[in-house]
Amino acid sequence: MVGMSVLRSAAAFAARLSPLKSGNNAANLLSRTIPRTDKVAVRWGHGKKLFVIKPSDYYDRRFLHLLQYYVLLTGVPVAVFVTCVNVFVGEAELVETPEDYEPEHWEYYKHPITRWIARNVYDSPVKDYEKMMAAIQIEKEKADTRLTQLEVRRHMRQKGDGPWFQRPTLDKGLIDYSPKSTPDN
Amino acid sequence: MPADYDKGAYPEPPRQTPAVDKQTALPNPALILSKLFYYSVDLPVTTFRDAVDSFRANNKSVYYHQKFRRVPDLIDCQEGDYICYYEAEMQWRRDYKVDQEIVKVIQERMRACHQREGASYHQNCGKEIQQFNEVTKNFQSRYGDLGAYASGRKCLMKQKERMMAAAQAQSA
Repeated sequence: MVGMSVLRSAAAFAARLSPLKSGNNAANLLSRTIPRTDKVAVRWGHGKKLFVIKPSDYYDRRFLHLLQYYVLLTGVPVAVFVTCVNVFVGEAELVETPEDYEPEHWEYYKHPITRWIARNVYDSPVKDYEKMMAAIQIEKEKADTRLTQLEVRRHMRQKGDGPWFQRPTLDKGLIDYSPKSTPDN
Repeated sequence: MPADYDKGAYPEPPRQTPAVDKQTALPNPALILSKLFYYSVDLPVTTFRDAVDSFRANNKSVYYHQKFRRVPDLIDCQEGDYICYYEAEMQWRRDYKVDQEIVKVIQERMRACHQREGASYHQNCGKEIQQFNEVTKNFQSRYGDLGAYASGRKCLMKQKERMMAAAQAQSA
C-alpha cells in the first residue's frame, strides 16, 4: 500500500518533469516496453469498411420471404399428414380376387388416400360408364327424333293430308249449291 | 418384410465353414467393414422398418386386379348403335393400354438381359432381342401412326388398309 503511493508519486514526478513526452503517461509509465519497430504484426482481419452502393433488394427479399411463408403454411401440414398416413396406414397388398367376391370399386387402388378419395369423393367407374351411356342414349334418341320429324314434315308437305302445313280457308259449309238465276250470281 | 421359409420343415445342412485359423495378429479388415456396415446401416434400417410395420399391423388392407368382361367389337356393332360403339371404344382403349404395358415388359426383359450379359449381350440375349423386335414390329403395324387422337375406328381403318395392301400384294 505504501509502495503504491510511492509509485504513484513517482509517476506524477516523471509526468511533471517532461509532460509532453508520450511515454510518460501514467498508464504505461511503469509497464512500458521498448517499442520494436522491425517486428510489427500485419493482419488483414477486417480490412477497410466500405459503403457498397447497390440497388435495393428489400422488395425481392420480402417477396421470397412471403412466398416461403405462404407455401409452407399449407405445405408443411400436408406433408406431415401424408407422412403420417404412409407410416401408420400403409399401402395395400395385391392379392388374388377370391371366388364369388365382388370387390368394391375403391378396393382396386393401392394408396390409402387414393382409396379414400375413390370411396368418398368420386363416383364408381361403373356409375360413370353408365352415366356416359345414358347421355349417349339420350342424344341418340334426340337425333332419331329430329330425323323422323324431318321425314314426317316432308311427307305432310307433299301429300298435304296431315295436321301440319294447313292453310286456313273459308268454311266449305258456306258454299251455296242452290241453282242461280244468272251465271254470275 | 416378407417372411422367411419354414426353417423347421426344411432344416439347413450343418455348416461346413472351416474354423477360423488366424495366422496373423492383424485384424481382418473384411470383418471390420462388415460389422461397421451392419451397425451403421443395416441395424438402424431394420429397426425402423420393424417399427413402421408394427404401426401398420392394425390397418392392413388389400387391393385386387380388376377384370373386365369382353363386349362386342366395333365390327359386331349395328350401324348407328352408338352405345355399342362406346363400349367397343372403351374396350379398345383398355386393350391399347394393355398392349403398351406388354411392350414395356418385353423391353424391360431385354434391358435386364443386356445388363446381365454386359459386353456379350449380342451373343447371349438372342431370344429376348428377337422377342422384342417381333413385339415392337407388331405393335407398330397395329397401333403405329394413329397419333394422340387414336380411336377404335381409326385402328379398324388401319387394319383394313393393311388387309387391302396384303391382298394387293398377293394378287400382284
